[in-house]
Amino acid sequence: MPNYTVSQAGSYRSVIVELDRGENFTSEAGVMFRASDNIEIDVTTRSRGVGGLMSGVRRMMSGESFFLSTYRTRDGGPGEIGLAPTLAGDVAVIECSGAGGWLCAGGSYLGSSDGLSIDTQFQGFRGMLSGESLFFLDIGGRGQLLVSAFGSVKEVEVDGALVVDTGHIVAFEDSLEYAVGKAGGSWLQSFLSSEGVVMRFSGQGKVYLQSHNPDQFGQSLGGLMPPRS
Amino acid sequence: MDYTIDGNPDYGHLLVNLDPGETFIAEGGSMAWMSDGTRINARLLGGFTRALVRKIAGGESLFVGEFSHPEGGQVSLSPAEPGTVRHRRVNNDTLILTGGSFMACTPGVRLSARFGGLRSMFSGEGLVFIECGGMGDLFFNSYGALIEKDVYGDLTVDTGHVVAWEPTLQYTIRGMGGLKSTLLSGEGLAMNFTGVGKIYLQSRTMPSLASWLSPFG
Repeated sequence: MPNYTVSQAGSYRSVIVELDRGENFTSEAGVMFRASDNIEIDVTTRSRGVGGLMSGVRRMMSGESFFLSTYRTRDGGPGEIGLAPTLAGDVAVIECSGAGGWLCAGGSYLGSSDGLSIDTQFQGFRGMLSGESLFFLDIGGRGQLLVSAFGSVKEVEVDGALVVDTGHIVAFEDSLEYAVGKAGGSWLQSFLSSEGVVMRFSGQGKVYLQSHNPDQFGQSLGGLMPPRS
Repeated sequence: MDYTIDGNPDYGHLLVNLDPGETFIAEGGSMAWMSDGTRINARLLGGFTRALVRKIAGGESLFVGEFSHPEGGQVSLSPAEPGTVRHRRVNNDTLILTGGSFMACTPGVRLSARFGGLRSMFSGEGLVFIECGGMGDLFFNSYGALIEKDVYGDLTVDTGHVVAWEPTLQYTIRGMGGLKSTLLSGEGLAMNFTGVGKIYLQSRTMPSLASWLSPFG
């Protein structure tokens, strides 16, 4: 298993992943900021569990241009890579036991160890009418999942039910039941109070939340910028 | 009701524990997560006409959300921008907030929208303030760090950096320097405060981030 060191100082976290002999690691393309000189990078649109051209096309269609980088050492010896998210905030290491899977928000996925499969075909929220992007990766298997949060990350053990604004979800265990819906009593109330789409979790399992909402920050900033010509 | 502010100074957010029958007011769209069964009622801010003016002038939401839970529950609230969340007890005194700085309050706090005057309208900044009176707990937020300052005499501040002030301070709005320097330096409008009272400033502004970014877009 790789060794992970998350930088602890300040508001802009990153992580160093130390790979042992023969270990591979996968990350979102473009997040690597340093590597030992024996690291070989292969950018791909496929991963374990999914294969072929179509899943790559699907990744492109999802609007996130979801390409993955795979790292291995050229000489078969140990090596290390440093990964840094785009936004300011925390990085967390989630231990996936293999007993159940995880769903990870597309914007929060940073990387994953060898034993994890990454499926971008997840269609659990089909038919949703939402301005916010609900793109989730289905993570299976046993290993470590690295996630990034905008702001601070919080692990919540759901026992009963919890309602979360979709923009604050980082990842959750698929042992939880989840339903997408409105925040207020009616769609009108939800619309008027600007509390849009939420996810209602029930049952038992873990949810990772981020203190701040990237979409909201983006909209707030985007609204101040002149239109692109 | 009790509350916890977590994550300051960079990622401040607010956790509120509601008892049955209690209500809590929050800026529209600020809810991050909440107990199942929490009710949200949209409420107009400070009367329809004023709220409409606020909507047109400030681009802010017309509505605030009123949260309640029949059995008691938790609501977590986050501002759109990372920064500091600050609590202040309002006790028959008044605090004036700039449009985007309001985050939440208990129902005893009276909120009303106020105009920044014609000058701000013409400048394109469209300043709108929220006057917070009555009695209760008020929460507001800054983008970046929150700077608290006691003014004796006078102080000039770029309007974009103003978060809140006590109304014992009088202000006038003007350009930073002459017309030429206003146009050339990128300095926006300034507020000149005089008197004795507390002022809250923020260390960053979203419009400057946006204008820094836009040449790269």
